[in-house]
Amino acid sequence: MKISSIEGEALGRFTPSDPVIGLDIGSRGSKGVLLTADEIHTEFVPTGLYMQETADDLLARLLQKSGVRRRDIAFVVGTGYGRISLKYDYIPYQVVTEITCHAMGAHVLNPRTRTIIDIGGQDSKAIKIDPATGKVVEFVMNDKCAAGTGRFLEKAAVLLGLDLHELGPVALEATDPSPVSSQCVVFAESEMISLRARGERVGDTAARANIAAGIHFATARRVKSLLGRIGTEPDLVFTGGVANNAGMWHALETLIGAKFARSPIDMIYAGALGAAVHAGRHHAAAVAAGTARRNARAQARTTASPTRKAAARATAGRKTAAAHS
Amino acid sequence: MAPRPTTDQSLSPALLPIQALIEAEQQDFTEGADGRKRAGYFCAYTPPEVLNAAGLRHARLFKAGSPEIVSQGERYTQSVFCDFSKSCIGGFDPEGGDPFYRAVDKLYTFHTCASMKRATEVIERFVPTKLLNLPRLRGEPASRAFFREEIAHYRDDVAELAGRPVTDDEITAQIVLYNKVRALLRRFSELRKGVNPPLTGRDFLELVRGFYYVPPEKLLDVYGKLYRKLSRVRDNGARPVRLMISGSIMADGDRRLVELIEQEIGARVVVEDHCTGLKPFAHTLPEEGDPFQALADGYLDQAPCARMKPLDDSLDFSARLAEEYAVDGVVYVYLKFCACYGVSKLEFIERLQSRGIPVLEISSDYSQSDHGQLKTRLEAFIEVLQDRRTDLALSRAASGQPTGTNTGEFAHG
Repeated sequence: MKISSIEGEALGRFTPSDPVIGLDIGSRGSKGVLLTADEIHTEFVPTGLYMQETADDLLARLLQKSGVRRRDIAFVVGTGYGRISLKYDYIPYQVVTEITCHAMGAHVLNPRTRTIIDIGGQDSKAIKIDPATGKVVEFVMNDKCAAGTGRFLEKAAVLLGLDLHELGPVALEATDPSPVSSQCVVFAESEMISLRARGERVGDTAARANIAAGIHFATARRVKSLLGRIGTEPDLVFTGGVANNAGMWHALETLIGAKFARSPIDMIYAGALGAAVHAGRHHAAAVAAGTARRNARAQARTTASPTRKAAARATAGRKTAAAHS
Repeated sequence: MAPRPTTDQSLSPALLPIQALIEAEQQDFTEGADGRKRAGYFCAYTPPEVLNAAGLRHARLFKAGSPEIVSQGERYTQSVFCDFSKSCIGGFDPEGGDPFYRAVDKLYTFHTCASMKRATEVIERFVPTKLLNLPRLRGEPASRAFFREEIAHYRDDVAELAGRPVTDDEITAQIVLYNKVRALLRRFSELRKGVNPPLTGRDFLELVRGFYYVPPEKLLDVYGKLYRKLSRVRDNGARPVRLMISGSIMADGDRRLVELIEQEIGARVVVEDHCTGLKPFAHTLPEEGDPFQALADGYLDQAPCARMKPLDDSLDFSARLAEEYAVDGVVYVYLKFCACYGVSKLEFIERLQSRGIPVLEISSDYSQSDHGQLKTRLEAFIEVLQDRRTDLALSRAASGQPTGTNTGEFAHG
């Protein structure tokens, strides 16, 4: 996709000189973004048992989609749950946390972003960012349980006999959301079972919608408590896989009493995009450092004695050859 | 219970002999071959001066960190007790407790927080226990007079256990000795004020651990040699990100946060304000006059636990330490259900932030299942701190003068 076709075009100011990749290896799904000077490509694969295989698969798909050659990739940044386990031969690689990456991803798509809610497969976060730089000012993360995360919604969908992508739309049809007070997956599950037992059978479409809505509100309350600690300055942006769930979007907007800013791309890619932008910066810094070294060597050549000059030339020659191989 | 796994690889080589010394002491304590009575205590408000004066074997009981011992204790409590208090009960449990705890002849416990008092009431079933009162209002003259009396009772009970009288002169001699050890531990800590400290946060915790297991007369010699060695290390490496650990107890066996920060992420813990770090060594006891009043005043004047009033004293101590040690940020960590540090957390965080110091808040337990999340939070916090340092350096360079634009606006990982 051409970056110029993305609404707002803020991203254009952050594109790299050479192709770079951001990989966000999540607990449930892995996301990749390849950025070039004027294009953006995204890919999604479910996270497998072996993080490196998942990441390799993601990288191969990104290359195929974009037509960029592997050897032209200047830098890779990894983020997310599986960030540490990745290794690349011949491509410089760095790790950045998903908190920093989500902030940057949201920032480059919408520089007015000040507050982010990120809900992923196994955690949720509220992040406050500096709109001047896209840097993290504060963040809050959920405790280790699954309440307020995508995992909770997955469990709920199974109990209601729905596919995950149906859960949100079904919840929006609710007329009277069921009271689900429990914020623990295990207890919420038993609450749902007792709601069903009270005659609100799963087969009954209206009752199912009410239970689904109740589940979304229970999750949203949990997430809202994170926001309570860092504030909700606009623009408010929703990122992560759960940002695709219309029911969650509605429940959060209702409880917070504010609207999320619309994003020009699927915000499941916010972390990977932020990682790609960081990759671009690392690459630029490496190029700048290389230029500085070359200038310093050139300086040394003009002032050095003839023998040292020859030695410096030989070293520079070897380095150049290595860089091209 | 399985023996605590030794984590030698995370300790600097210079500290390994100390670790070996501690383990030998623990073994002697458990086996009790010398026939001496063994006293145990939980809290840093218990003066070991009296125990040592009576010639008892003694140790602070703060081994915790494993989920097994917690579930041992959970058989006797509700879930809303902190994992440390559950571990204290679990250690004394006749079935599957810790042999080290089971070797204790008498437990002395100064009533500190509510969960530890209740835990002690359970433990009374397993071991003879003396519960003593610790006043909360540390500044009141009445508190001091009362606490002096409690310490006199404590001495009487200790003398009975030892089967011999404990004289005032013997206690005064121990005060002098312990003052020396506390001063030495402060000097070890001072070494961490350097740009690239010769000892890690993990190392310092090991020195504190030694203080609570090894008798002071043995410690002075060993620690003195180690101090001379470490103080000669040249301070010439790169400056790591410097952190303070603040909050509730960091038990002997609860090293995962420090190891994560230092070994996995590469930042450095340069100071801690909790009662198993620098805090119990910040004070010096009066060496003249009535030894009971000296103990009462000395222990009430020590850097206070958050259960003491006024809370401002605790907050001031934390903020002052953070500044003295030039930390980049503070990790405020408390055990879930902690009735002291879990409740006063906002005051601590606000006080530090108002001085421009960023704080990451972590609530933790001994379940070990949140390693990935802890790591993400700590790494992100350190990324923020590094950014702040870069920005600060840039703005200094641009304006050609030092700037003080620390907003400290950070909290709650």
